[in-house]
Amino acid sequence: MTWRGPAGIGVVILALGALPWVREAFDLPIFLLAFGTLVLSWTALATSWNILSGYSGYFSFGQGGFYGVGVYTTAVLTGRHDWNFLATVPLAGLLAAALGLVVGLIAFRLRALRGEVFALLTLAVPFIVAPIARLNPSIDGGQGITVPVPDIPEPLNGFQDLSYLLCLAIAGIAVVVAYVAQRSRLGWALFAIRDAEPVAEGLGVPTFRSKMVAIAITAFVAGMAGSVAAIQVGYVTVEGTFNLQVPLFVIVMSVLGGRLHWLGPAVGALVIVTLRDRLATSGFEGFSLIVLGGILVLFVLLAPEGLVPRMRRRLVPVLVAFVAVGAALWLTRLREDPVDWLAFGLLAAAVVAFLPGIRRRGAEAALEPVGPEVETDHDAAAAPPALADEGAPTTSPTDKPIVVVTDVTKDFGGLRALDGISLIVHPGELLGLVGPNGSGKTTLVNLLSGQFRPTSGTITVGGEDIGGLPPHRIAHVGVARTYQIPRPFASMTVRDNVAMAIMFGRSPTDLEAARAAAEEHLALVGLAELADALPGEINLHERQLLEMARALATRPRVLLLDEALAGLNPVEVDNAVGVVRRIRASGLAIVLVEHLLRVVNQLATRIVVLDQGRVLADGDPATVMADPEVVRAYLGRRPSGALPPAPATDGGAGA
Amino acid sequence: MIFVQSALTGVLVGGLYALMAIGLSLTWGMLRVINLAHFGLILLSGYLTYHLTTNAGVDPLLTVVATVPVMFVIGALIQWGFQHFKVSELSSLLVSFGLLIMGNQIISNVWSADFRRMTSDVNPYATGSLTLGPLVFPMPTLIASVAAAGLVLCIHYVLARTFVGRALRAFGEDPAIASAFGIDHERLGLLLAGAAGATAAVAGTLFALGGSLTPSTAFEWFGVVFAVVILGGIGNVLGTLLAGALVGGIAGVMTIAWSPVAAPVVVYGLVVLALVFRPNGLLPRRGGHG
Repeated sequence: MTWRGPAGIGVVILALGALPWVREAFDLPIFLLAFGTLVLSWTALATSWNILSGYSGYFSFGQGGFYGVGVYTTAVLTGRHDWNFLATVPLAGLLAAALGLVVGLIAFRLRALRGEVFALLTLAVPFIVAPIARLNPSIDGGQGITVPVPDIPEPLNGFQDLSYLLCLAIAGIAVVVAYVAQRSRLGWALFAIRDAEPVAEGLGVPTFRSKMVAIAITAFVAGMAGSVAAIQVGYVTVEGTFNLQVPLFVIVMSVLGGRLHWLGPAVGALVIVTLRDRLATSGFEGFSLIVLGGILVLFVLLAPEGLVPRMRRRLVPVLVAFVAVGAALWLTRLREDPVDWLAFGLLAAAVVAFLPGIRRRGAEAALEPVGPEVETDHDAAAAPPALADEGAPTTSPTDKPIVVVTDVTKDFGGLRALDGISLIVHPGELLGLVGPNGSGKTTLVNLLSGQFRPTSGTITVGGEDIGGLPPHRIAHVGVARTYQIPRPFASMTVRDNVAMAIMFGRSPTDLEAARAAAEEHLALVGLAELADALPGEINLHERQLLEMARALATRPRVLLLDEALAGLNPVEVDNAVGVVRRIRASGLAIVLVEHLLRVVNQLATRIVVLDQGRVLADGDPATVMADPEVVRAYLGRRPSGALPPAPATDGGAGA
Repeated sequence: MIFVQSALTGVLVGGLYALMAIGLSLTWGMLRVINLAHFGLILLSGYLTYHLTTNAGVDPLLTVVATVPVMFVIGALIQWGFQHFKVSELSSLLVSFGLLIMGNQIISNVWSADFRRMTSDVNPYATGSLTLGPLVFPMPTLIASVAAAGLVLCIHYVLARTFVGRALRAFGEDPAIASAFGIDHERLGLLLAGAAGATAAVAGTLFALGGSLTPSTAFEWFGVVFAVVILGGIGNVLGTLLAGALVGGIAGVMTIAWSPVAAPVVVYGLVVLALVFRPNGLLPRRGGHG
């Protein structure tokens, strides 16, 4: 089935590419070509915007800045330095992409960058770029630039043909990239970032690089679209270029069409351009922004998934409505203008897509996975290939240590959460990490998985110092974790949640292979039956099992289970204990943070007790649990004024 | 001396920026919504002041009697919508952007896209100025900044000392806990959003005293006001006032030293630096969940 999309895109692009000659042959008005140019230009801008902002959820107001850099690259080089116009188009894209990378370098390096702050930061892009262009006499200097009409290459018939075909090419690039991205590792990475960015990073997704690639693509296409816009405008000014029109339009188009589907922004662009055109020709130009604003408000509040997913659910009725209404107007000559046929056809299609009543489909609709589409591959689902578990060498606890924590301290401001912790984990061991609330258990887990960096001391995993590595690199070294409160990728099915971890694991694979391999991990935790469910549809226990399956799918050498059994009923706890036992059988090291001492005693081969950021005890479960200091720490009575005695096994790190 | 003059004038203008920013900052910090329509309320209130003064001969400062209740109601209505649809922070940004665009177009249809300014025969404050030695301060700027700074200080007092203020702060820190202690967050949210609307009304009226209005003015405020919000620390009242003065002063000096168009570059440069080095704003946060 994978040929259908590319073939469809190819046919549509070729058909649209023939329009200039068709127009000539049938003597259609040239206005059609100008209208098509506008639709394609906005398709390019909106589709490219969506690759960053729709897929990853980082809304950008910077599109106007990238577009403006493209406009000015072409305007300055052709208007002032007599460059060949066609040579400036890719250059405009590259310069815009460079600006995009600068923005990304600043924004995506910020700690805990939130989506809203990113939106406001990118809002600054046009505000910063515009004055620079305005002040610099070699760019604009305040008087604007006249852009010369380019030479028209041979087979083309005129200026409008050239800009139409160029916009078609750029829009084609944007749509193809959006289509490919939705099916590639890049798209998956971006979807995972939108759903739960820290989790994605922890599973091995290079989040920073993915966002940088996305913003570069976004800016590159916008720059090229700006370049072509420059020759259409003919005379460019700072005020006319760097305003909020571009970001406003691309946002409205993408929200209207749908942000999670590659075709959404293109459909949105078609609808909005048609709508604006009709409003203008019928004398309601002054209302077009009211309509646009209204569409934005209504769709965000009432139909955040947009038109395309709804249309796909009723594909046949929608197409029938579109063709029937359009053709009826054409044949009856009720309307003369071809754009009217299109406008009413689109209106009919949208109405059909939103018709209430057919609740049978509508109810499922809300629960449809919004990630990259599943091309149902029954072979893979029916017979999961046995995956060799090369990543989990079965070794005995006497082997070389896998995790060595040496004298690690972690401060938060003035608060010392961990104070000179040293401990060792061997392959095949199940280390129970216990201690009262606030003793530093979760902090230690966060250090091991790279969420935090130690204030001092070193942590090695398999001999590699992980102190300075970003979390996704630590995942590749072989550390995986679960979260106390499960954090699945909400828009992906249970299977795809696990497949994500495989795709971005130590040996990267593509989507189909990852989906097949996911079955094994789902079977191990007992979720195979629920593989096609969305995380929102399964219960807490199942979500915790999903966390484990997802962590396992990275084929870790150390698995950190952070209170993976919290909030479960006794039956579920027993089931989870069984799962942990099965996981352990594969020979990897497990660090289990747990409050339920019953569970820890059942599972752990060794127990480490933390208290006030120090190791209070370290040894086999029976000894540790009998230690009077441990009992005292658990009962909350501490020797007043005195620090806990130095841990008995402190010298362990040197062994 | 020209630098001192422009820096001080800038600081005064900054007081008005702080008043524009305060409603945005408080609703963002305490209600977790980013209400871009706030700019529309400021603009609309400016136009109402212009309209009432020009067409009915009302003293421009007295127009707050009309603008404040109107903007209070609109602000509360928008918040009611946010609460009703349980919008996320990002969605509130998008929805209010849509509302702003709609409001802007309506203003443009009613008052046209031309510049509107109260003439000096209806605006008694238009021409006066205060001279202090070599320094001269235009009266509209002076009134606006004194009123704005006073109002911001009042808001600080209300939040710090009154029951409603404490309840709001508690809610901003942790909505779930505050609700558990019996704080009716829905009504409180409407009240705060209405109050934010009221500050927008005053800001718009004060802006109209000395400034020219055009529908696109709202977008010109975007940059500088968000700079103030972020530099001041989201939800931090005194920080916002300080940031307003700072941004205004810097913009004033840049205008003289370099060019009026260069000011946004410097202001936004500051915002980026602030986000990198002081993500919680210039002033240290008291307690909270930092």
